[in-house]
Formats: sequence, C-alpha cells, structure tokens
Amino acid sequence: MAEPEPMEEATVREPLDLIRLSLDERIYVKLRGEREIRGRLHAYDQHLNMILGDVEETMTTVEIDDETYEEIIKTQKRTIPFLFVRGDGVILISPPLRS
Amino acid sequence: MLFYSYFKTLVGKEVTVELKNDLAITGVLHSVDQYLNIKLTSTRVVDEAKYPHMMSVRNCFIRGSVVRYVHLPPGSVDVEILHDATRREAKGG
Amino acid sequence: MADAPPVQGLAKTPADFLKSIKGKPVIVKLNSGVDYRGVLACLDGYMNIAMEQTEEYVNGQLKNKYGDAFIRGNNVLYISTIKQ
Repeated sequence: MAEPEPMEEATVREPLDLIRLSLDERIYVKLRGEREIRGRLHAYDQHLNMILGDVEETMTTVEIDDETYEEIIKTQKRTIPFLFVRGDGVILISPPLRS
Repeated sequence: MLFYSYFKTLVGKEVTVELKNDLAITGVLHSVDQYLNIKLTSTRVVDEAKYPHMMSVRNCFIRGSVVRYVHLPPGSVDVEILHDATRREAKGG
Repeated sequence: MADAPPVQGLAKTPADFLKSIKGKPVIVKLNSGVDYRGVLACLDGYMNIAMEQTEEYVNGQLKNKYGDAFIRGNNVLYISTIKQ
C-alpha cells in the first residue's frame, strides 16, 4: 500500500493561504506607482517579498496633451527572467482561478 | 529569513537593484543583512545619461526599504530550492 | 476578560465587527481611493484581506474583476458591509 501524498492543506483560513496555494503558479500583482506584474511565484514571505519568474511588468502613465488637455494613457511593458519584488510596494495579489 | 538566506547565496554575483525613485544600479553583490540592506561594488547606473552625477560612484550601500526590485541572475535561481524553503517558512509561521 | 459573543449585526468592538463580517459582501476602500467590492473570505491581524468575486472600482468605474484577491493590509482605509 502506497502512502498517500501528503496533501497540501487546500483551505483558506487566513489571507496568506491564498498566496501559499499559488506557489509555482502564475499570479497577478498590483503594485504602487501604477505598476502591474504577471509572473510565476517561486518564493514569498510574510511581508509579501516575492521572487517571480518569467515576469511581465506593465507600467501605466497618464500624460496631458499640451493643446487639447486630453488625458493620454500610455502603457510600457518589459519582461524580466527572474525578479525579487519588495513586499512593501504590493497592493493586491490575484492567484489564478482555482478549480 | 528566507530572502536574507537567499541573497547571501548571491554574494559575488552581478545584480541590478531598482529603487523606488526609479534609479537602477547594476553591481556585484558585496553583502546583505537581515533588513535586506545591500552593498554593491563595481557599480554602474543603468541610465547614465539621466543620472550623470552618479558617473563616478563605484560602490554603494542601499537601504533595504528603498528597493523596489532586484533583477536576479537566471543561473542563480533554483526554483525547487525556493519552493521548498518557502513551504518550510510558511509552516513555521 | 471574557469575550462576549458578538450580538448579531451589532458588534461591540472593532475585532467583533471583523469576526462578524466573514463571508459577507463588503466594500474595502484603500488609501489610494480605489474600492474593492466582493465577498470577504478572511482577514488577519495586519488587516491583510482575502476576498472572492472581487470587483475593482476606480473613480466609481468598474476597472477589473478578480476571482480571488489578496489585499495587503497596509493599504486598507476601511472595510464596510454592503446593505442587502
């Protein structure tokens, strides 16, 4: 009789459980300064410091047109293989949808 | 302690530290402490044209709290070790 | 000091209030002014929040939807229940 694999506790008792269940999954992170990140979560701690892989960062800037005073929203994207993100800049983390 | 331990394994490697004021500095990681304060040697500023006053800076100490990102050298990231260390840390509290 | 059970709907202390709203629809307002509407799954002592079926409103306009969302507690201005 094979021992059953030790099950990862799949219930969410505290908010950090959401992050725990997202290890090695692609997550969305909203950061201060109009920055958003998508990447695979490889490590985190209780401060929400994180290491993410295959990262795509989106930066959003709003400029005002000199003549029409219209708001021009620009987004810049870049990709980074491995990134450490300091937790104090984190606003929101969204895990992939659980099935 | 997870990230302190991890950064210690990067000592001697080249990293790019991006600060909350957008300044990005590449250099060799000289040392790190428990607050994730960082000392870099052989530094260069990524956008030298924008920060000419930083041209002659070769070493620096960066307070951990002003760091936004650290770009890690891909060869120094073992994701299996990170996953295991993260699970251990999550259990311990 | 014995903890009195929270009176239904009328909690005595902030902690009682937080305990009483788990599983309820809430609005979480952040310091930035952004609102999140959704079902509060749970929260911790830092006011980190886990929410389900979350909608993000910027200046009153729906900007995003998240199945699950973790909000880092330091950004939270208030948590409000939604009258049903």
